[in-house]
Amino acid sequence: MGILRKVACAAFAAAASILPAKAQQLTVWHDLGDNGIKWFEALSAEFAKQKPGVTIRSQSFPTDQWFGRVISALNTDTAPDLIFNNYERVIRIQQQTNKVMDLKALTGTVPDKGFLSEDDMRVATFKGRQIIIPIQRVQMAFGVRKSWLDKNGGKFPDTWEEVKALATAFRDKDPDGNGQADTFGMALQAAKPRDLIHMLDLFTFGSGLRHTLIDPEGKITIDQPGHAEVLEEFLKTYSSYRFVAPDTINHSFAEMYQVIEGGRGGMFRVGDWNVRKWDGAQVLNGDFVSGPWPKFAPNRPNAVVIGGMRGIAVPENSPNKALAQEFAAFMLSKPAQQASLENIGAGVRKDLDISKLSPRQQYFAKAEHRLVAYDFPESIHAFYPELEAAFHRKLLSGIARPPADWKAFIAETAKEMRDLAAKLRG
Amino acid sequence: MTDVLATLSRDRIFYLFVAPFAALTILFGVWPILLSMQVSFTASATALRPNPTYVGLANYAAVLADPIFLASLARTLLYTVLSVVANLAFALGFAILLDSRLLKRGSLFFRLAIFLPVITPDVAGYVVWRWLYDRSFGALNAFLTLLGLPPFGGLSSVDTAMLAILIAELWHHAGFYMIIFLANLSIRDRALEEAAHLDGATTWQRWRYVILPQLRPALVINTVYALIQFLKTFTVVVVMTKGGPNDQTNFVSYYAYQLFDQARYGEATAMATILFAIVIGLSLTAYRLGDREPGQ
Repeated sequence: MGILRKVACAAFAAAASILPAKAQQLTVWHDLGDNGIKWFEALSAEFAKQKPGVTIRSQSFPTDQWFGRVISALNTDTAPDLIFNNYERVIRIQQQTNKVMDLKALTGTVPDKGFLSEDDMRVATFKGRQIIIPIQRVQMAFGVRKSWLDKNGGKFPDTWEEVKALATAFRDKDPDGNGQADTFGMALQAAKPRDLIHMLDLFTFGSGLRHTLIDPEGKITIDQPGHAEVLEEFLKTYSSYRFVAPDTINHSFAEMYQVIEGGRGGMFRVGDWNVRKWDGAQVLNGDFVSGPWPKFAPNRPNAVVIGGMRGIAVPENSPNKALAQEFAAFMLSKPAQQASLENIGAGVRKDLDISKLSPRQQYFAKAEHRLVAYDFPESIHAFYPELEAAFHRKLLSGIARPPADWKAFIAETAKEMRDLAAKLRG
Repeated sequence: MTDVLATLSRDRIFYLFVAPFAALTILFGVWPILLSMQVSFTASATALRPNPTYVGLANYAAVLADPIFLASLARTLLYTVLSVVANLAFALGFAILLDSRLLKRGSLFFRLAIFLPVITPDVAGYVVWRWLYDRSFGALNAFLTLLGLPPFGGLSSVDTAMLAILIAELWHHAGFYMIIFLANLSIRDRALEEAAHLDGATTWQRWRYVILPQLRPALVINTVYALIQFLKTFTVVVVMTKGGPNDQTNFVSYYAYQLFDQARYGEATAMATILFAIVIGLSLTAYRLGDREPGQ
């Protein structure tokens, strides 16, 4: 009997030694759609080179669903191994669950991370916890339809006055040559709080200012010198200047993209993730050029805006926490970042091969222009979304029924925001 | 107790058949409503945690002190009244036309034409309406310009946005109410009309005193259903206006949805609960009023 047991044990040990190690799978939830799924497939193949038998399975959800699923999964201990999204969305997940892991120690162990700036790390940190590892900087430039620009002198607008002149020409001079007055100077959006304030953010930060509505100390900035001028011109763009489609007040992202991709808007926001699609023959066919946002004052340098940071986060109740952290750190490696650049159009490393990218993609990859990052008020002031919603409501009331005196309107708005901020701060 | 057990035992087959459906109703109908109400008593930041912090009626107090909510509620009630009246008047008018002998030939075509929008997916229908109203390329303003008339502000003007979505919803829903009216008209007692005619009643008198009272069942059902439908108006707002311009179409359902977007779950569910109570209250009142015998 003893001999039989020894033989059985030996046979089991021999079989175990020749069988491959047990396959392990990490699950990532994101909202990047098909491009994101392809990117994680590429990452899975790269990661398997250093971790044989490990595969990465990614699932993409529409952003709203992503929120709900992640919050409920983290709260019910059915979390995925990793979550990937914009920093401000991960902040909300942390606020709702308190179950996003602090990645400070993990990031400290990554030897090759000199490309991460102080701004990057500030964005990744919420209430002293590093909730994401920054993976993709989200760059947003000012875009002009090239064929229309060529018909109007060909010079990329640098100052707000040049933008206004060009917008008037795009609106009035039939730049698409179809004989109809159906074109607009700009394609913007306004319907939801984030829509309108996001547009204002771009003009504000792009013109070299540091805060759109509130500074880190909690002071309302909209009526300060420089800020008030940008805000007034921005509001006139939607109203008296008639640079945008008349229905823009109800436009969100989908409608704004219809104006851009439908060939009706001359100037617009170009995100680094837009370029791949807009280079396509069926969309804009590369008929656009990107540059920094316009200057509002000659002494303030203009810039391309870093409007966000996408990053990877690990839930405290991740089923494979150690391996998940290993993968999160791997996402900063050169092969992983190269895959990010090729599939999503963004990364954080500066030593990537960009030769395969189109000139318009290279504009972002090289980051040759001055970059200015958002101030990310939601990571400092917990009440910011509520304040922003009230600010949006007030600005929309002005756009819907333009006041005779915008300066008085801005002063009144600033007072209302100060009162509300004080109340919300409690 | 013995009586209850005896009744249960006597009707056990009935209860056996009813039990699965009652369980499903409780699970998918009542339980989510109760959960939503539970969230309305919690602090938003902890609402979705396993052990939320309960704040009593604080969310309800905050909501009832919110001028935007109160304006939204007033707007919702105004829109509901206008929509119920417009839909029922339009549906009844068409039902009468289609029921008349004058339209005997094209009756089927017109019935189909008016009912077709009801089975059209609402999102697709409202997207087309948004395009029709578009001030830069919409067909409506192109037509008005052709006739030399001033343009219609449509969805982008604070003065016309509510009217614009009311028209789109009328297109989508009126066919349903019309079918109910038509069904009721087809089963009315025509002998009463002939008797009234012989007694010298005018056409109007026949309608007012003979036909309309017979349409009460359809009127009650349609009014209650329309009240519920328009108090909860949501999809048309999401697709066409997103509550704008300047909150002109920011009805309670959409405002609550916006608060969800800001993670203000407690206040959002408090709003939903208030709206639920209003819907139940108004519907029961309309049903009771409509179901009363004349003179009661």
